[in-house]
Amino acid sequence: MTDFKKIEEKLKKEAKRLLESGAVTVALAYEKGYDEKHPMPYAAKNIADVENIVFNEYCNYNMARYLVRYPQGTKIAIAVKAADSRAVIQLIQEEKVKRENLILLGIPVQGMKNPKTGEVIDNKTTCGMYNPVLFDILLAEEVHGEKSASPYDVLAQYEAMDKDARWEFWKKELDKCIHCYACRKACPMCYCDPCFIDQSKPKWSEKAPQSPGNMMYHLTRFHHLAGRCIDCGECSRACPVDIPLYLFHKKVAKECEEMFNQKAGMSIEDKPVLIDFRVEDSDKILE
Amino acid sequence: MSFEPKILGIACNWCTYTGADLAGTTRLEYPPNVRVVRVMCSSRINPSFIFRAFQLGADGVLVGGCHPGDCHYNTGNLYARRRLATAKKILEFAGLESGRLRVEWISASEGNKFAEVVEEFTTQIKNLGPQTKLKIQV
Repeated sequence: MTDFKKIEEKLKKEAKRLLESGAVTVALAYEKGYDEKHPMPYAAKNIADVENIVFNEYCNYNMARYLVRYPQGTKIAIAVKAADSRAVIQLIQEEKVKRENLILLGIPVQGMKNPKTGEVIDNKTTCGMYNPVLFDILLAEEVHGEKSASPYDVLAQYEAMDKDARWEFWKKELDKCIHCYACRKACPMCYCDPCFIDQSKPKWSEKAPQSPGNMMYHLTRFHHLAGRCIDCGECSRACPVDIPLYLFHKKVAKECEEMFNQKAGMSIEDKPVLIDFRVEDSDKILE
Repeated sequence: MSFEPKILGIACNWCTYTGADLAGTTRLEYPPNVRVVRVMCSSRINPSFIFRAFQLGADGVLVGGCHPGDCHYNTGNLYARRRLATAKKILEFAGLESGRLRVEWISASEGNKFAEVVEEFTTQIKNLGPQTKLKIQV
């Protein structure tokens, strides 16, 4: 199991070193919340701030979310877990941040917990990876020997459903939506300004938290994240009414992987699948 | 009264729309259920258009573009292919019948094909019945 205390110490040490040397102007990590179970995202801007940094098993926020808030060219150090590092890669692919402006403090971690349920977060709701894909400094030993199961196993029962039953399922789930947009706020890939749902010309959708608006918002969001979602599961954890958004994102990610042979956020050389094409793509994907 | 489906046709200016014109000038008969909207390229089609069309009461959506490789803008339909394929998968997983969205490559000289596709698609939608899942109930 991961030694969280040790990681916290190392995280503080590295953040302090980087801020002191002037290599970065801000270090993105976590700070103490009102209790141990609810840490908060934190941006350390000077050496004194570093003391506030914490890291425990509830620090599951995806800090890549905050990268796009800083002007291009800001030197940033960021604490990344497995899915977070994929989010950073995806942002680099989309040219939202530049690799040379980032210092990634990789945290291989196992046994993160969901503060709402207290359950260990595994491949059911996330990509189920333990080791960061991209990092400059590794803060702990890489996790080896643990075979991570396919993140798409959880989909089988929904794929087997009859389409009408699946429609009923999604209608019931999505109708819970209160349009708080927490999923959008938590998502590292949702950086559009303004978001399509906030536009009134054209009016893409009803905005009231009722069935039509819910459907349009979520279906379009699933499409906007197609081939970009890195399966960190933050949207579902942020959701106050517990809509299993991760299921749909997983399904779309799986289909994109099958159709285009590319997994989101695995290499900074790739291009996001939907702003790319191959002449040899088959017409079969349209059937 | 028998069910007459409302079908939204989105046709690219250079191929499918011209193909539809050809079907008209050669006096081919095809069902009048398709309402064609012309766009400059199939990659102009935001998948939200399709979701929205279903919400506003379309029973089916037919998208027409140039054959891959023949795009007036060289690569537009290759982007569109990926986009529309993903949109289709999303509608399918949401529980909508996958047959309600169809993408066809119809060139400017294929008036026959346009008529055939519309004929076939209309029958298909008639068999599926009215689309009530996404439609906004008023």
